[in-house]
Amino acid sequence: MMCQVPYENLRPGPAGKYLAVIDYDTSNKVYYWPVDLDHPAILLGSGLDPSESDPQFHQQMVYAIASQTIDRFEQALGRKIRWSFNRWSSRDEADGVLRIYPHAMQEANAYYSRELRALVFGYFPASEMDPGDNLPGQTVFTCLSHDIIAHETTHALVDSQRDFFTEPTSADAPAFHEAFADLVALFQHFSFKEALLEMIKRTGGKIYRSSVEAEAAQSPDGPAISAELTTDNPMVGLAKQFGDAMGMRKALRSALGTPPNSRDLDHVTEPHVRGSILVAAVFDAFFSAYVRRTSDLMRIARSARLALDTADDLHPDLANRLAGIAAATAEHFLNICIRALDYCPPVDILFGDFLRAMITADSDLIPDDEHGYRAALIEAFRRRGIVPEWVTSYSEESLLWNSPEQDGLDSVPLCTGLQFEAFQSGTRKDRREQMQKNAVLLHEFATRHADALRLSSSEKIHARTFHEVHRVGPDGQLTFNVVAEFMQQREIPRFPHLRHGPKFTFRGGTTVILGPDGGLRYAVRKPVAADSESAVKRLARQREYHDYLEANLSFAPYVEDIQTGSQGMNFNMVHRGY
Amino acid sequence: MPIPKKSKELDAKTIRVRMYRIGFGDCFLVSFPLSQSKKGDDTHAHVLIDCGVHPSGRIGTMEAVVDNIAEVTDRKLSIVIASHAHADHISGFDTCAAKFAQFDVGEVWLPWTWNLKDKEAAKLQKKHTALAAALSQHLAAAPTSKAKSAIENLTGNAHAVALLNDGLGMSGKAKYLTAGDDLEKTPIPNLSARILGPPRSVEFLGKMDPPASQHYLRLAEGGVTEPPIQPFQKRWLANREAEEMAAIVLKSEEEKELETTLGSSVEDLAFSLDNAKNNESVVALFAFRGQYLLFPGDAQYGNWTWWLDHESPEEILPRVTFFKVSHHGSVNATPKRVVEGMSAGKFAAMVSTQSSPWSSIPRVPLMEALDEKTKQRIVRSDWLEIDGAPKPSPETAPAKPQKLPKGFQQGRLWFDYLIPC
Repeated sequence: MMCQVPYENLRPGPAGKYLAVIDYDTSNKVYYWPVDLDHPAILLGSGLDPSESDPQFHQQMVYAIASQTIDRFEQALGRKIRWSFNRWSSRDEADGVLRIYPHAMQEANAYYSRELRALVFGYFPASEMDPGDNLPGQTVFTCLSHDIIAHETTHALVDSQRDFFTEPTSADAPAFHEAFADLVALFQHFSFKEALLEMIKRTGGKIYRSSVEAEAAQSPDGPAISAELTTDNPMVGLAKQFGDAMGMRKALRSALGTPPNSRDLDHVTEPHVRGSILVAAVFDAFFSAYVRRTSDLMRIARSARLALDTADDLHPDLANRLAGIAAATAEHFLNICIRALDYCPPVDILFGDFLRAMITADSDLIPDDEHGYRAALIEAFRRRGIVPEWVTSYSEESLLWNSPEQDGLDSVPLCTGLQFEAFQSGTRKDRREQMQKNAVLLHEFATRHADALRLSSSEKIHARTFHEVHRVGPDGQLTFNVVAEFMQQREIPRFPHLRHGPKFTFRGGTTVILGPDGGLRYAVRKPVAADSESAVKRLARQREYHDYLEANLSFAPYVEDIQTGSQGMNFNMVHRGY
Repeated sequence: MPIPKKSKELDAKTIRVRMYRIGFGDCFLVSFPLSQSKKGDDTHAHVLIDCGVHPSGRIGTMEAVVDNIAEVTDRKLSIVIASHAHADHISGFDTCAAKFAQFDVGEVWLPWTWNLKDKEAAKLQKKHTALAAALSQHLAAAPTSKAKSAIENLTGNAHAVALLNDGLGMSGKAKYLTAGDDLEKTPIPNLSARILGPPRSVEFLGKMDPPASQHYLRLAEGGVTEPPIQPFQKRWLANREAEEMAAIVLKSEEEKELETTLGSSVEDLAFSLDNAKNNESVVALFAFRGQYLLFPGDAQYGNWTWWLDHESPEEILPRVTFFKVSHHGSVNATPKRVVEGMSAGKFAAMVSTQSSPWSSIPRVPLMEALDEKTKQRIVRSDWLEIDGAPKPSPETAPAKPQKLPKGFQQGRLWFDYLIPC
């Protein structure tokens, strides 16, 4: 499989603008020689050939997949990303890179750590008893799994856009992080042309099936050769080698999850399992859209009496067309997901908020829902009981974030004078100055219109991030918006009846979308004000979730004050649940 | 608080729950009246629930406690329950083995996870034992820490476990219990028991399996530290001094930070294992002449959730008349639902606790909630003053009252709660 990566000048590692691979192994306390991808011998062969026993191939692989994932984000967002730990730093860009340790430790684990500014990947011997497709005891490298690399890189990318999403505000917040990381990894499967085409052929175009028919029809007394075995559909499975090596006999997770029902959401709290409900909702919509978009081709094929049920008979032209549509639809859905991040609240994300963000972001760019993507998303979320708060129905109109008119404002709040040219062409000093000017303007705007933005006038307002967003719609029209995040916080007693007991930081804020004229278009808010109905509800939910976390943390009995509120999520711990 | 000269005598209409001050640990003796006792016969039958102290929470009362048990019961125990394999619940069966050998024991109730004839249980124990050994070895040289104390509690229990599995002497018989067991008949007339934990569900077992890093598993086999796998051939090992490594090699403090952060799993693992052991706890609900006594051992959240979700807590909890507070009053050992589900003022509670080795135990908000819910009918073992034993910390709750609540009385080494029935 070939992997295309945006070109840049690389130092040995590889190390580039965003990433630096450092092959230090803490278990053995050794470094492995770094690969030099700019070395002529390697350049000529388009990189090193796959080899498990060559750490330099691992370095190349982890670098390539991580770069590709970053590139997908930048394309969808229409701007350069900056890692969360580097956002306010005045250091050189070289200091702001995300480090990747491809063989960090001997452990069946991999995670993103903001504190270490790194992605760490472990290696481990496969289960002796039940290694699946691996050899018993064979060394399994997490840094050789496309899915694991894409998943961990996405954690870092989501954190670069919304660093307060790691706050444990409800069961949805950690689950959202996991779900988003899985979505990016899974949608990338559909960009691998050969693999996709192969699966289209083997499933007769039904790529949404969780298992794949055997290549050969089974003998009457059961399968005798491998080709007669049905296998899992790799397009919808995540990290199969890892799952096998752990003795799970299957992929780590699946895009399809359990059949939709509206009850799971009430009691499933483990982040990965809860996240898989969101993943399944998005994939339900994606596959439904794919079926709708290919139904004409299928009808033509049927009328031409092409047998569609046996894999061998799918006409190669038809398979190519289906693969093309599947790849394009996957790309659209991934774009919808990534763009929705700009329309998410700054903190306390709920699954329902993400639905509203997707619907609003997509309808902003593509007013006409020609392929029925938004309708499919709404239906899939509804079937899983994901109910957005403060919304009266599942119609597209009511799911859009409120406009100032809907909020009953007499006039549209305006924020004028923001400048962004320096970010395109200016020097670092220009950028810094422009950034400060913009921050002042935005702060004035937010203070003046605190009521309209549902910001509390008794707490400080921080203008946290802001950027302009250019996007080109399918009809070639350019849209221009400014997205800004405002944050507020209050110190609140952890237990309502203990005024002098432990406290935690209750955060809220508003994401503001401004139009090209500086007029407010949407205010996506999570209020903190004591008199706000929404804040009261949020606070109760947050306390309840802290109770749950305390009850589930094995170290909780032995430590004095478990500051579940102010200390972010630890992906290391979350991932220990695999 | 003066010690009354004479405790109220037991009569045929009274159940007595005796909580010993044993240090950081549990030891409860429950005496049920026998209805048709003739003169000279026993008037009560006895159940001993746990007898152990944490190695870092000893106060030197163990021998005296066991002597008192012998005296009170005339060395006859109808039922012995060992809730789970932590030193603070079973160490006494080992250190006082000679004394216990003289007892006439009926049944020994143990969690199903101890039954080595059970494949699942055997697998679990093998893994837990290996992990505990590895962690203990790893932490041996380390300074005292919260995690180290947790591991101390886990190791050195093999003898006690073997004795208990063997029925604690000639006469006793081990009985392995699983959540859902309904014991209509017990060795004590009129006493029945419902077992609410430990569960046997797949989900529960998943939680019992601490996510061990390969490093510690490897370390565990045979207790010998094996070198880590070397994933690549020697030729790939870089020379740190080489020119092309200059831009790559980390500063030594960065290497150190990385190693500590990635290695923090030792502590996580120690606590996960501790948590898994606590959740093995036998949870027994005794019913006797309309009284309901709930003994949850050290059950933590994972154990409770099973029966709160599968049994009918709305029927069980409001009836409870006596509650032994789980896990010494720690934060996640008594779910909110449980406190809320019991009837205000209808039950009394006892908590065997002390602020050492963990100052976070007992948890103040939980103690306050129970104090309120029981209408101040809650007693802590560390209110008993014993030379050299830690006193309750000043900011803890509930504070020691002037007078013991109604139904309670105090002895040299114990508090009694008397339930008329």
